[in-house]
Amino acid sequence: MSADLVHRFRAMGCEVAVRGEFRTSPAGVLERWEEAFSLFRPESELSRINASPSRVLRVSRLFSHTLEVALDVAAETDGLVDPTLCGRWTEVAVSGRLLSRPPGLALDLNGVVKALAVDEAADGLDTPGFVSVGGDLAARGPVDVALPARGSIRILEGGLATSGTASRGAHLVDTATGRASATRWELVTASGASCLAADVAAKVGFLLDDDGPDWLDAREIPGRFVARDGEIVENVTWARATEVLQPCT
Amino acid sequence: MPFSSLAGTLAPVMAEHSRIALARARARSAKRAIGLLTAVVFGVAFVGAKIHAPGHAKGKSKSLGAPSSFQRAVKRSVAQGGQIAPAVQAPPVSSSTS
Repeated sequence: MSADLVHRFRAMGCEVAVRGEFRTSPAGVLERWEEAFSLFRPESELSRINASPSRVLRVSRLFSHTLEVALDVAAETDGLVDPTLCGRWTEVAVSGRLLSRPPGLALDLNGVVKALAVDEAADGLDTPGFVSVGGDLAARGPVDVALPARGSIRILEGGLATSGTASRGAHLVDTATGRASATRWELVTASGASCLAADVAAKVGFLLDDDGPDWLDAREIPGRFVARDGEIVENVTWARATEVLQPCT
Repeated sequence: MPFSSLAGTLAPVMAEHSRIALARARARSAKRAIGLLTAVVFGVAFVGAKIHAPGHAKGKSKSLGAPSSFQRAVKRSVAQGGQIAPAVQAPPVSSSTS
């Protein structure tokens, strides 16, 4: 695979773009994650666990680690990004390879799975490059990325992700009400130390409505918000990082 | 028989007995050394086999998954911002919702 060309294919139901030399095939990595966590495959581990009436289940190492990350994210975001989608994430526990959750409580790990898959695929890069799955991106070395609405940005290191309602409708759920979230934002783009960090930040920024920019600023996470009326709001961290310095005259 | 002639008869016999006793002592020492060497060789081989013999699982097998170092790195960075700057060239990729 040439290091300069962008290769495109489909995986995880999304358009994938990759650039760089990889130790491990990004397509193989993405397929492994989809095989374990797709809710559209009845044979996936997640589908089988959701269909099981048991309270305690033995799960794969990949599943237990992913659920640990999802529960960490839920704790970090005060339950805004919740693997149960209904505010009951504190009833879920994982210890080693044992999962405990109330019977009938379904899990949805989409909040972290795609970003984790992108991060793992990018971890296989031997050269500067990037992995983008449906616009969620992790980069090794600088890469320029086009932004929603207009403009572009250069990622120096880490990840970039966009959440919102533009392409899939209202799929982000307010876990307090269990209904699709209604905020003033249509799209929120955030930059994180990893694709997971960027994705979580973008989701939280979206769900927090007017408080989103400040929540990201408090953690020094750059965020860019596209409102439903087309207005573009950059938080302080984003604006500072992308400010073009004018030479002294 | 005079004592002097008896002593003359016994002297070769006693000398013969002394050589046999010495030979027996040497044989005992050699047997002990061989036994000790055998025990040492067996012990070293036993410990070596326990440590190095292939085909004997020394721990639980690990299922395939993301490397733990990678997972730790991801978990550490859940709420950390990335580094961005103004774009300098035409972007080869875009960020959007999927």
